[in-house]
Amino acid sequence: MEAPEAVRANPFVPYLATVKEITDLTPDVKLFSIELNDEAARKSFDYKPGQFAFLSAFGVGESAFGLTSVAYRNSGIEFAIRRVGTVSSALHELEPGATVGVRGPYGNFFPMDEYKGKNIVIIGGGIGMAPLRPVIDTIIDHRDDFGNLTIINGARTPRDLVFASEFEAWSEAKDTNVVLTVDAGDDSWTGRVALIPAVVKELKPSHHNAVAITCGPPIMIRFTLAALKELGFSNEQIVTTLEGKMKCGMGKCGRCNVGEKYVCVDGPVFNFAQISKFIEQF
Amino acid sequence: MAQFISRKDLLTWLAGLLQHRTVVAPVIVQGNVLFRPIERTEQIVFTSEKSVIPPKEWFFRQNDVLFTVLKKDSGTEISPTVMEREAVLFGIRPCDAHGMAIIDNVFLGNPADALYAERRAKTTLVGLACIDACPGGFCSSMGGGPQDPSRLDIMLTEAGDGFIVQVITEKGNALLASARLSDSSLQAAAPPELDKAPAVGIAKPMERFFNHEYWSRVADRCIGCQICTYVCPTCHCFDVRDYQAKGKIERLRTWDGCQSALFNRIAGGHNPRPNRTARLRQRFAHKLLYFPKDYQGVLGCSGCGRCVVRCPVNIDIREVISDMQKLGVENAVGSA
Ligand code: SF4
Ligand code: SF4
Ligand code: FES
Repeated sequence: MEAPEAVRANPFVPYLATVKEITDLTPDVKLFSIELNDEAARKSFDYKPGQFAFLSAFGVGESAFGLTSVAYRNSGIEFAIRRVGTVSSALHELEPGATVGVRGPYGNFFPMDEYKGKNIVIIGGGIGMAPLRPVIDTIIDHRDDFGNLTIINGARTPRDLVFASEFEAWSEAKDTNVVLTVDAGDDSWTGRVALIPAVVKELKPSHHNAVAITCGPPIMIRFTLAALKELGFSNEQIVTTLEGKMKCGMGKCGRCNVGEKYVCVDGPVFNFAQISKFIEQF
Repeated sequence: MAQFISRKDLLTWLAGLLQHRTVVAPVIVQGNVLFRPIERTEQIVFTSEKSVIPPKEWFFRQNDVLFTVLKKDSGTEISPTVMEREAVLFGIRPCDAHGMAIIDNVFLGNPADALYAERRAKTTLVGLACIDACPGGFCSSMGGGPQDPSRLDIMLTEAGDGFIVQVITEKGNALLASARLSDSSLQAAAPPELDKAPAVGIAKPMERFFNHEYWSRVADRCIGCQICTYVCPTCHCFDVRDYQAKGKIERLRTWDGCQSALFNRIAGGHNPRPNRTARLRQRFAHKLLYFPKDYQGVLGCSGCGRCVVRCPVNIDIREVISDMQKLGVENAVGSA
């Protein structure tokens, strides 16, 4: 059914959508594959790596989540969601077939075109991998457009590594190195046990013709930033996505500002040259 | 020669408008002056006392149902709130009209907030000029004035046994078609003198002294009650949440305020403004620094004085403005 004009004109009204598939990624992260009900909406819903959308669990509320999929594959919208608040918990309770609401996309995005020809270092901690996955997919799907790809993915324990089922495919791609690390291993873990910043220092990715994209908890970002700068990366070469309390995505609710910038409109993607100029330092 | 309407004809005109429109006017609710839809013109209070809550609430409500979700057998249906009748907002003070113009930047900016935009388009603004200076007000320092008719559709100024009528927009002109106006040589009283706060160029010292210990000194006595945010005509922050009642779900938008510790705390626990100093500074910086940066120089305060009068610990934005300006001057001299 076509949505009436008044409905579509209201930017707070989400598209109705159906949960197609829910996959456990870790004990507290699920991957939701969602399809918009309206065919025209499906076609027009275009987005880029780094952008986010609001997902509604009707009756509980809506929250902003990074889009975890890439639009050009046309295979539905995906979100990797950790159970942390009321909305994410309600979403975790859903079964395939459930009706949800989607509005978006919002925010800026990773300038993938500018990264062409460069060596890319992706550094993700925990659920921080969620907004980085579309970056990885874009590079792997257009492998010859980019230089070497290094993926450093860390988590508290082996069970907390998100997208584990995709590591193999990633590492089989040309000139791609996937490095996994955990804070604490378990009996079957034979890989690295180290904090992400230590792994960065050990691997020593070169800053020449490179860009580092990192996302994760604030403390991890702080030390990863320091490690990258030690290796010669400039502020411009280090990119991250910021989180904020978001209620609108349109620069209206006033919840996500950092100084005069709104994370929802001016971000969420910023490089550290931009961040270091923010009047408020979080 | 000015146009004039007698008090009696004004009430007759408003009573006529009530037949086809919603008329929102200052009334007394439990001892407080507030803007509410009226049923009879006798409810209107003509008082120089400012409404406790600014009339922005007609457009941006304290609680607003953005849309209703109905779960039917045939599927889920969403019906957004729409405005049924045209409206007249009567008795607006110039500072509050200015306040609306300020938040128009936020709500009408792309993408426009549909509900706010619809209400704004379907409402005609009738202003009442101020004859007396109000407590705490400093509108003339903020780009307005006690009898400033801009940002209104019609302006009324008390004179003799009625009001001098200024028609400002075509919308106002159309609304007046049913009013009995006459020519009059009455003169409006001279506008009152308001307190002054030297706001010109305030963004500069606000930026320069962002990290000055001044802020912790002021914040030291703030009790975080948020009254300043709730009475302000330019505060526009909100929360969005769902409310379930009787088989339907409402998506509610409610006012929110930056002085609450939970305002910015994100799921997972990180709070980017963890202390009172950061939060108090946010309110002033938003109005005096971020607003002009985001909206071509527009200051985010109309000088209505409500926060000045209502703050239980006398935190006074006029004082903050002059203290910041002073810091700017002192340091300019010091570094010369
Ligand atoms: S900050 Fe205070 S004086 Fe300025 S518009 Fe808001 S309530 Fe009025
Ligand atoms: S009204 Fe005064 S005490 Fe209350 S939050 Fe505002 S500045 Fe602080
Ligand atoms: S999410 Fe509302 S202003 Fe950014």
